[in-house]
Amino acid sequence: MAEPILSCRGLTKRFGGLLAVNRVDLDVEQGEILGLIGPNGAGKSTLFRLIAGIMHPNAGTVTFGGHRITNRPAHDVCVAGVAATHQIVRPFRDMTVLDNVVVGAFFGRRPRPHGPAAAREAALAALRFCGLEGRAHSDARTLNLSGQKRLEIARALATRPEVLLLDEVLAGLNPTETDQTLELVRTIRSHGTTIVMVEHNLRAVRGVCSRIVALVNGSKIAEGSPEAVLNDEAVVSAYLGTTHA
Amino acid sequence: MDRRTASLAACGVALAAAIAVPFVASRAEYVLDVLFLVFLYGAMATAWNLLGGFAGQVSFGHAAFLGIGAYTTAILTQLGISLWIAVPAGALLAGAFSLVIGIPAFRLRGPYFSIATIGIGEATRLIALNWTSLTGGASGLTLATAPPLIVQYFAALALCVVSVALAAWIKVSRFGYALAAIRQDPDAAETLGVATTVAKTQALFLSACLLGVAGSIYALHYLFISPDSVFGFGTSIGLVIMPIIGGLGTVTGPLLGAVVYTFIREQLAATLANADLLAFGLLLIAIVVFEPRGILGIIDRVRSGKKPPPEIAAVGDG
Amino acid sequence: MLVAGLYAAMSYGLALIYGVLKIINLANAGFLMLGAYVTWWLFTAFHVHPLLAPLAIVPLFFLFGSALERTLVRRVLGAEPIISLLLLFGVWLVLQNLAYVIWTGDTRSIDTPFIDATVSVAGMQLAVPRLYVFAMGVLVLVGLQLFLTRTYLGRAIRATAQDRDAARLVGVDVERVNGIAFGIGIALAGFGGSLLSLLFSFTPDFGRTLSLKSFCIVVLGGLDSIVGVAFGALSLSLAEAFGVRYMPASLQNLISFVVLVVVLIVLPKGIVGTLRALRRG
Ligand SMILES: Nc1ncnc2c1ncn2[C@@H]1O[C@H](COP(=O)(O)OP(=O)(O)OP(=O)(O)O)[C@@H](O)[C@H]1O
Ligand SMILES: [Mg+2]
Repeated sequence: MAEPILSCRGLTKRFGGLLAVNRVDLDVEQGEILGLIGPNGAGKSTLFRLIAGIMHPNAGTVTFGGHRITNRPAHDVCVAGVAATHQIVRPFRDMTVLDNVVVGAFFGRRPRPHGPAAAREAALAALRFCGLEGRAHSDARTLNLSGQKRLEIARALATRPEVLLLDEVLAGLNPTETDQTLELVRTIRSHGTTIVMVEHNLRAVRGVCSRIVALVNGSKIAEGSPEAVLNDEAVVSAYLGTTHA
Repeated sequence: MDRRTASLAACGVALAAAIAVPFVASRAEYVLDVLFLVFLYGAMATAWNLLGGFAGQVSFGHAAFLGIGAYTTAILTQLGISLWIAVPAGALLAGAFSLVIGIPAFRLRGPYFSIATIGIGEATRLIALNWTSLTGGASGLTLATAPPLIVQYFAALALCVVSVALAAWIKVSRFGYALAAIRQDPDAAETLGVATTVAKTQALFLSACLLGVAGSIYALHYLFISPDSVFGFGTSIGLVIMPIIGGLGTVTGPLLGAVVYTFIREQLAATLANADLLAFGLLLIAIVVFEPRGILGIIDRVRSGKKPPPEIAAVGDG
Repeated sequence: MLVAGLYAAMSYGLALIYGVLKIINLANAGFLMLGAYVTWWLFTAFHVHPLLAPLAIVPLFFLFGSALERTLVRRVLGAEPIISLLLLFGVWLVLQNLAYVIWTGDTRSIDTPFIDATVSVAGMQLAVPRLYVFAMGVLVLVGLQLFLTRTYLGRAIRATAQDRDAARLVGVDVERVNGIAFGIGIALAGFGGSLLSLLFSFTPDFGRTLSLKSFCIVVLGGLDSIVGVAFGALSLSLAEAFGVRYMPASLQNLISFVVLVVVLIVLPKGIVGTLRALRRG
């Protein structure tokens, strides 16, 4: 098998006495859609933040494309080619939808568009991709939740990532919107972007992911094909709420 | 004619008028004096706005840069050094100082940064007051000769034009997008690849250099500077107030604010000491509560007959 | 060292308001100044002894603060933090310059026998007002702690400070608590100002330097903890007492700015917050 495009080794994050992420090893293969599941508070979002450089780990390393990116600031990681969406959406509320995405296009991974016109063009392309072009000139705060989640994706896409980390982009969407977003995720992958997605909707995860990693209390407890992981005894008991040591 | 051409044309006309004023105005002395102030303040407000408005990093200590520019020029000209060297030196020194304070201060966020700037402004004033051998302490510095008023006028006009043009260019550039993103949500900006600290530091540096030049012009106009005039808290207050009156984070707002500011000061300062600052305080409260986008916001609202944006009108908490 | 009591007294309000409303009361300096002037005015116009002035100042300032919260502050609580900062900056400007208009910029001071009294303790001559202010600083600390931990209202305030949504869920009227907390914060500032007038002469610009010290203290203490404030006040007064040995007195005020900036940068969570984090970690 080829070198994984992104890999974590022994990644650990403590909040005071709480071990939010506990010695996690994770390999992401080029071109896959990897699902990251686990009950609330398992440390999924924290793991994403560690990879994206939004937070820095107490121990462990993150390697991307053969380079160590551990402890690099978030903007560096994004420029290197790893983009993340926020679980709790954070649009630039007083900017237009288009301008939100232009920020991503202007910065992000190289090569960058030259000049404002090219950046707008790239941003419009990302919006079209996410089905938001009709709202390009509305203020971001006027979007509903599903629109704001799409905007998160569009902004991240505009940074031209090689790996895209999606944190619960399906939460709060109705079944139609869910299906549209899943379709979008597949399309993004078909354009060559590797995807890691945190998701509570197990049906969706089963449908779209090629591989799944399960996290409980900060530790990885299972990894493998969707069938194997979703039927794993430890995973099932964690989801049913039985305490798992 | 689209909006862009229209506003460019408007700027051209205004600029032509400003250039013509000295040659056509009757009572030229008085008119020039007032317009000089408007342009100087306009440039200063625009400079402050690069950081405070565009990037949302409100500084209550920007007088420091004006003061450094003013003192550098005053001291160097006293040594017989040409203005062509003294003024750029003032600007660069102000810029260099901005880097010295910006690098630590930008580890702070929003309101914390603002509070630290009060301390920085006050600390520089105290230093200017106590470093008597260099600054003459409380008794200030006097300059020997001033360039003629018309030269001062064109200097202020040029600085103002440069500042506003710079702001207009930044607004639509990549840099401007970085600053706008920082203002709205620095964390989200970071995750989109914006090096927020670098961008903020650049904005501060530009802002400080422009204020350094403004300080030089100030010193050459008044021929007397003291820690309480150029480094004073009152100066910092003015720098905050003008852009807010006109429209925080806009290109022309600070200039509009400078017009209103100069007018109110001319009207009130003479009648009753501190009445102008009282008025500014009331104005600031009114703007923040009713129309945080300032005069330009009001114009916008009148033009489109729109209600204010929902979250400003809403009475929220949290 | 005794000055610590004073520093604490003028900073409690700041911490309380920050704790509950999560806004920084930039107008604190204005209310300190106003407290000093009202004390002076009561004394010169009505011969009210300066020690009695707080009896009027505290309720008056409380009402004023609550009204201010209800009319203005409440409108900007949802907006960006910078907006509330600018609003309170405006309030400060108004208070300060209103004072200039009413009382002119002349330096005022209160002159009674009490002000000049000294006692000797263990061979040291101590100024009675300084002792008194120190005692008051401690007393307010104890009083506030009792109020916050023992009364229903105090508990409601603490609950709101910790988690306003949770507080609302258990039936706390969060809007009312905001008004009350802001009122108490302003009353504390007025009281602090009244105490200050016993020690210093003042002008309408009075309080700016002191307020910077308050920010420093509150940041040292961790922004929302009353005990932290007392602790911060003690640290700053020690730093100053220590600093004056090495630099000219005219630069003494620089110390607090330097401490402020350094603390903001090195310990953004304050000393207490850092200790807490260390203990947990
Ligand atoms: N900044 C923080 N400070 C302190 N504790 C935190 C912080 N962020 C997360 N935690 C804690 O770390 C643990 C893991 O949180 P995390 O958000 O990573 O979980 P999650 O798996 O994403 O959960 P969810 O499915 O609810 O999104 C939780 O107990 C959370 O309370
Ligand atoms: Mg999460």
